[in-house]
Amino acid sequence: MIKVKKLGAIVPALTLAAGLAACSGGNGNGKEASPGADGNNAGATTTASASASQAAGAADTSKFVKISYVILGDKPKNGQFDAALAEINKLMKQKINAELEWKWVEWADWQTKYNLLLASGDPVDLITIGTDWLDTWGNAQRGAFMNLDDLLPKYAPQTWESIPQEDWAESKYKGKIVLIPENAYTQWVNHGFFYRGDWAKEAGITEPVKDWDGIEKYLQYIKDNKKNVIPWDATAGVSTFGGWVNSYTQELELPISTGWLPVFTTKSVDDPYTVVSPIFDEDTMLNYATKMKSWADKGFWREDVLNYKGDTRTLLKGGLTGLDQHHTQTFGTLRVDMDREQPGSELQMYPFARTNGNLLELSITHGGTSLGAHSKNPERALMAYDLIRNDEQIYRLLNYGIEGVQYEIKDGKRVLPAGYDPKKNEFYSDFWGGRNDKLEIPSSTVWDQLPTTLYAEYDKIKHPYPYGQFVFDKTPVDAELTAISQVTGEMGPSIAFGKAGDPAKAVEAFKSKLKAAGYDKVKAELQKQLDAYKQQMQG
Amino acid sequence: MSAQRTAIKVDGSTLLVRIFGYGFIGAFALACFLPFMLVVGTSFTSESSIARHGFNFWPRVFSTFAYKIVFENPDLIIGSYWVTIGITVVGTAVGLFIVAMTGYALQRPDFHYRNRISFFIYFTTLFSGGLVPFYLLVNQYLALKDNYLAVLLPGLLSPFLIIMMKSFVRSIPHAITESAKIDGAGDFTIFLRLILPMTTPALATIGLFIAIGYWNEWYNAMLFLSPDMKYRTLQLFLYGVVTSADFIKNSSAASNVDLRDLPLESMKMATAVVATGPVILLYPLVQRFFIQGITVGAVKG
Amino acid sequence: MPAPKTKRRSSLRTLLANRTLLLMCLPAIAFFLIFSYLPMPGLYLAFIQYNYTAGIFKSPFVWWDNFRFLVMTGDLWRLTFNTIAYNVMFILLGNALQITVAIFLNELRSKWFKKVSQSLMFLPYFISFVLIGLIAYNILSYDYGLLNGFLKMIGADPVKTYSNPHLWPFIIVITYLWQSTGYGSIVYFAAVMGLDSEIVEAAEIDGANAIQRIRYIILPWLKPTFIILLLFSLGGVLRGNFGLFYNLVGANNSSLYATTDIIETYVFRSLMTNFNFSMGSAVSLYQSVFGFFVVLSANWLVKRVSPDNSLF
Repeated sequence: MIKVKKLGAIVPALTLAAGLAACSGGNGNGKEASPGADGNNAGATTTASASASQAAGAADTSKFVKISYVILGDKPKNGQFDAALAEINKLMKQKINAELEWKWVEWADWQTKYNLLLASGDPVDLITIGTDWLDTWGNAQRGAFMNLDDLLPKYAPQTWESIPQEDWAESKYKGKIVLIPENAYTQWVNHGFFYRGDWAKEAGITEPVKDWDGIEKYLQYIKDNKKNVIPWDATAGVSTFGGWVNSYTQELELPISTGWLPVFTTKSVDDPYTVVSPIFDEDTMLNYATKMKSWADKGFWREDVLNYKGDTRTLLKGGLTGLDQHHTQTFGTLRVDMDREQPGSELQMYPFARTNGNLLELSITHGGTSLGAHSKNPERALMAYDLIRNDEQIYRLLNYGIEGVQYEIKDGKRVLPAGYDPKKNEFYSDFWGGRNDKLEIPSSTVWDQLPTTLYAEYDKIKHPYPYGQFVFDKTPVDAELTAISQVTGEMGPSIAFGKAGDPAKAVEAFKSKLKAAGYDKVKAELQKQLDAYKQQMQG
Repeated sequence: MSAQRTAIKVDGSTLLVRIFGYGFIGAFALACFLPFMLVVGTSFTSESSIARHGFNFWPRVFSTFAYKIVFENPDLIIGSYWVTIGITVVGTAVGLFIVAMTGYALQRPDFHYRNRISFFIYFTTLFSGGLVPFYLLVNQYLALKDNYLAVLLPGLLSPFLIIMMKSFVRSIPHAITESAKIDGAGDFTIFLRLILPMTTPALATIGLFIAIGYWNEWYNAMLFLSPDMKYRTLQLFLYGVVTSADFIKNSSAASNVDLRDLPLESMKMATAVVATGPVILLYPLVQRFFIQGITVGAVKG
Repeated sequence: MPAPKTKRRSSLRTLLANRTLLLMCLPAIAFFLIFSYLPMPGLYLAFIQYNYTAGIFKSPFVWWDNFRFLVMTGDLWRLTFNTIAYNVMFILLGNALQITVAIFLNELRSKWFKKVSQSLMFLPYFISFVLIGLIAYNILSYDYGLLNGFLKMIGADPVKTYSNPHLWPFIIVITYLWQSTGYGSIVYFAAVMGLDSEIVEAAEIDGANAIQRIRYIILPWLKPTFIILLLFSLGGVLRGNFGLFYNLVGANNSSLYATTDIIETYVFRSLMTNFNFSMGSAVSLYQSVFGFFVVLSANWLVKRVSPDNSLF
């Protein structure tokens, strides 16, 4: 009986080895490194083997392993991060007999490298994800991540218990948990314009700006009165059309990328399941195009704005421009910078949502962590993650650096220690995969009035994020979505900066190109999947 | 007497060609140099002056700030310099030898397989497997991650240079090979002793191409040398300085990113100067071999 | 029955007779086998919906689906045309200029001048495209550019370079020539150097003047080099120089796209947010197959005209 059982285990092992040998003969199939990655359901097999070896329940940490964590960012060159990581690894060794390796994916060509890591079957363990900017659902669909349902309760119990079931529900692809959301960290990444309070006052704007006309008045004042200042020295990298939609409609943005600007939205908070389009429905796009054309004609930005590659934020700090555009988190640090660089500038933010009160909470999967499908040590990786997220000592080392070198705590706030040299001591880890409010210490480099001003304002108007569990399966319309992305990238910037000639004609041309790229087909597919989602949510 | 008259007659048109030559080459060299001066000038200009007035040949407000930042960690830049020099020297030496050897063999009219092998090599310029399989190959099958060989090996040969070499060597009469063969020399000996010394201009050219390839290489370095390595290649180091901010700025999605330590315009220019500077010295060095080549050619006749 | 046997024996004999030369080619053969042929089956990626867990050869086969995004909006023809037109200009003007530079350099006598000018002509090749883009903007920009500063100084009207698509073919071709000529002329320079000085001297004694010498000796001497360079460039006639176009024209200025959009920039816009290796492979395959047929026909043509110079 025992013999038979053994044989039963050996035979699949042999066939697997044979299969791998056949594959590795230069055909570019790179999965030989990972024992659990055969077939379509990596998660199931890996979990099975994991639970088999962990029959006793307690984790086996007798073997020392290295756990990698892939993050995005340029590695700091001053060695401070390595120093902090060494401290972390002392604790890691002691607690779970493992070492953490911080794998930086640098910004130079990051899209290629990030996706290549997943596509090539590199044995990555933990990896930063973001459903709205790292195409995480797309990668889940391509089988990039391991299924975590059975592993989490066992190996990351603190994380497992601290995240409520409804948040886990937003972390599932086809019913299986594929990521750990950054659900316990307060941040607002809704966009808006940043303008100088002092100049606004001079311009006669005493109330907080509440629409684009207010911004226009402000820019016009700069144009007329400030020599050597370009009112808004914008670069064409980022679109403000989403902001306009946010300000002047009740439509909601969907977690689907259509490239340079959003093509599909849904009707409103009250009807989040009906697909509409700010480009085709109503005159939203036309109004926007007309407004931007008039701003361009008034000379609010450079003639060559579409090719300008300067850095608006640096120029703002230098007093050379009066407007910038980004999200609330950025504003929080920029305000402090501006108070230092341009004393008395009283930088203000006009969040696009203010005009119509159209504000959704941030998706909790904007940041998060997944486990690579080819990870060799999924158990220990999750144990390490559990520590990163919940162990106070490790958390602070990883996020703030070493106490006394990078920061000191004074009156419950993080401040820079005396003798802090920004070059020598600067520290960051770019960990966006599970920050935790419970362990955060407020910082002196973030504007302290943020909670009482903007956050308080947001709390009054915010609506819960309705698409947490909506995963758009784009397989049926992959080609169309790609073509639409191309069209938005091709025509969007020139419309958004008033460089496309007559706005009405430009918008018409844009529409007809989108139609040719398969707009109707994508919209129908989207509606079909949203209908199904509605049923799931309501029934 | 008559010879003298011919010389005078030749001078008329030669003079014309030379005047045109000096004018043309001079103008073109200047056109190549001026933008570079713009780079140098800007690298010494204070950032706020660039923002106000744009680039200039001569700094309006002089500043060495950019160089201070570039050399903030002199250790790193010097290290990357050595890595790049090492890879370039080794890669060029090995690559050049293989290219020359292959090129010689492929041009031998009596080499039975020359066309087939030529096509085998040429074909790779048309079709390539693409990024994913190449990454798999180097990273997993050859296991060269974080290994300088991952930069060195793929740059050794290129079909273009082999075929180029083949056509250069073809200008040496086959009779030389044949007579050496009659004297009993083997093919490899002929190549090593006879052919190599006669092809210095070609070797200088090919070597220069390989060397420049290594010097400018950053893509393989980016793919296979992770930031965990202390010293990576020079171009990768500089490329990071120049592009990282552009990448972040242009990706609407990366709203997580808190922009720190932005590469400034003057800094981008300073990196270009640092990377290009030594090359100005490289060419005159190579040119010696061209001139040697002529003399060898003359002797051989 | 005996026929194949002798055949085999004779082929074995050929192999033995060529063994040294074959061995000399072995490193190169091994190199291309490993670095080029081994990854080549990866082109199969173009026909599948790549699943990372399943691996390349177990992913579902989707026929031509990955090519669809290219043809849907009907831009493919314009892109193909632009890409080829630019490459043809690059090849023809590039080679002409490189030959001119090489020949002139050969005629000049001042060693000092030669060294300095050649070094200077090399400089542009070492400046990355990112910087070239920045420099170009600083020269051409409407409000603050050097060019318009100069035009205003002499009382002329400033030009709006960045909204005039007709100027861009010139700007791009000139930038390309500026960057690559010094580097490219090295090949021709070396070829001229390889020319037997006796032949040149003999011609001089026969009374050939400089122009005749160039016309009847040097140019014909350079023909094989030109043909090889030409055949090599033709293989990539559908591959655009992404760095050049992307950094010069930028990713956002659609008013210039009519004359500046090439396959690479189009694909970049398409895949930037919807990263997809399979679609990338599909484009690459299209470019390869196209180049392959262009080269085959060109090689066939060369073989008919001057058989010595064909590639294979």
